[in-house]
Amino acid sequence: MKPVIKVKSLGKKFILGERETVAPTLREALKNSLKRKAHSIIGQNGGQPPTVWALKDVSFEIHPGEFVGIVGLNGAGKSTLLRILARITRPTTGWADLYGSTGTLLGVGTGFHPDLTGRENIYLNGAILGMNQAEIARKFDEIVAFAQIENFLDTPAKRYSSGMYLRLGFAIAAHLEPDILLLDEVLTMADAAFQVRCHRKMKHASLEGTAVLFVSHNLNSVRTLCDRAFHIQAGQLQHEGPPESVIADYLKFAAGDSIDSRNL
Amino acid sequence: MNTSVEKANAVTAKLQRSTAFASRKARLIPDEPTTKIRPPGFWEGIDLAEFWAYREVLYFLVWRDLKVRYKQTILGAGWVILQPVLMTAVFAVFLGRLIRVPSDGVPYPLFAYSGLLLWTFFSNGILSSCYSLVTNAHMITRIYFSRMLIPTATVGVRVFDLVIAAALLVALMVYYHVPLSLSLMLLPLLVIQIATLVLAVGIMAAALNVRYRDVGTLAPILLQVWMFASPLVYSSSIVPAHLHLLYSVNPLVGIIDGFRAALFNLPFPWTGVALSALVTFSLLIFSIHLFRKLESSFADDI
Repeated sequence: MKPVIKVKSLGKKFILGERETVAPTLREALKNSLKRKAHSIIGQNGGQPPTVWALKDVSFEIHPGEFVGIVGLNGAGKSTLLRILARITRPTTGWADLYGSTGTLLGVGTGFHPDLTGRENIYLNGAILGMNQAEIARKFDEIVAFAQIENFLDTPAKRYSSGMYLRLGFAIAAHLEPDILLLDEVLTMADAAFQVRCHRKMKHASLEGTAVLFVSHNLNSVRTLCDRAFHIQAGQLQHEGPPESVIADYLKFAAGDSIDSRNL
Repeated sequence: MNTSVEKANAVTAKLQRSTAFASRKARLIPDEPTTKIRPPGFWEGIDLAEFWAYREVLYFLVWRDLKVRYKQTILGAGWVILQPVLMTAVFAVFLGRLIRVPSDGVPYPLFAYSGLLLWTFFSNGILSSCYSLVTNAHMITRIYFSRMLIPTATVGVRVFDLVIAAALLVALMVYYHVPLSLSLMLLPLLVIQIATLVLAVGIMAAALNVRYRDVGTLAPILLQVWMFASPLVYSSSIVPAHLHLLYSVNPLVGIIDGFRAALFNLPFPWTGVALSALVTFSLLIFSIHLFRKLESSFADDI
């Protein structure tokens, strides 16, 4: 079977300092460039600002219907990987090819417009996913029922509670039947009942042929839901294989890491 | 760990075991990748096919802006007319009545309004487009769609405003008994030209503003200068002939002169309009290039 996601030597480098938070002002940019010039004259740091590889030389393939879990410590590069695949940010090296439509849920917001109502946001997100009005209309009731927002359909999204935001975001991403579904630790904020329904829905989507890529700190759900798992550490694909062995590897690593820090 | 979650997980695990991986529904997978993700290169070009594919998103963004604006304001469309009307009133009193600035034989209020109408579109279009990416940061960092749609949509909204404000122009023309002429047919072309200019300047400002917020502060100041460098409240005939070519490098000069010539059936300034079209088009190419170059790091910079 042909893969729906092909990733080859993917890497992402971030420049530390000047651009890690909000955009600097022109004055700061000038100051930074002067500083860099000064450093290059002195020979410090080779004139280059300090950088970090959030993701380095990651390669894998994912097939239709596969359910892949990604585990790793905070800051290991899991979200960066998903953000690259979701085309939010661009890689520094390597490439990735996606075959088919992509539904994404990165964090709770999912690209809602706060001034639009729930109904309008469903249509907007559908349009962004490349669906036409008729296709969205067909899925509409299912999405609303899943998100349980029947009474708030005509309320602007900015008045939604965070739970409603999450429910609607998940419902849209999962019900528009994308070929690829990217989910980034979104269920940590969901209540138990909704988590159960989300797990069922994701499993169902994967059985229907959607490839699911799922970042989670909930090892139990990775263990029970996923066909395969990735352990990402320091930007690299440390280990991949059956969830059980990957989780074992990850736990061993995490334990080692916490002992290291205790000894500091 | 929550027990109900655990139970559900057990159920799904059982479901998983009973379903062999190979039996999952096979979908039609395209031979060519739908999405190619590559490191940013030097020339990104503009992906017209992608832009076209997202036309419904563009429609949504325009519609959302219009809706939000008219929903939470009392005056609604009135604001769109108020701005050029107030400016026209002020200039009509000081420049038209007191200083008696020549206006090519057109009644001064009509002369000024026809220019300030386009100016309002121009300046509001550029400003709202300049701030558009930053105000939509929550979408840019969460979901992908062609980024250029955001500033383009804000310009689309302003075209809508222009059409509303043009109603008053029609009323003024009736009031001053301006005869209809064939040259009015040129108006839509000139509106397309100015909209292209707004888009060109707007997407450049929007992209730069993501990295350097100074641009947002600088833009209104530059626009103030630009306003007086354009024949809005005075006629371009007051500029000495030997400086006229230099003056016409400002692409607004050709557009405003052409707009008035078409409205009032004056001799049409072909050279000025052509020069403006050339500047506008070059600016658009440059802006698209710049936008595409900066676009790759929007989510990291914003």
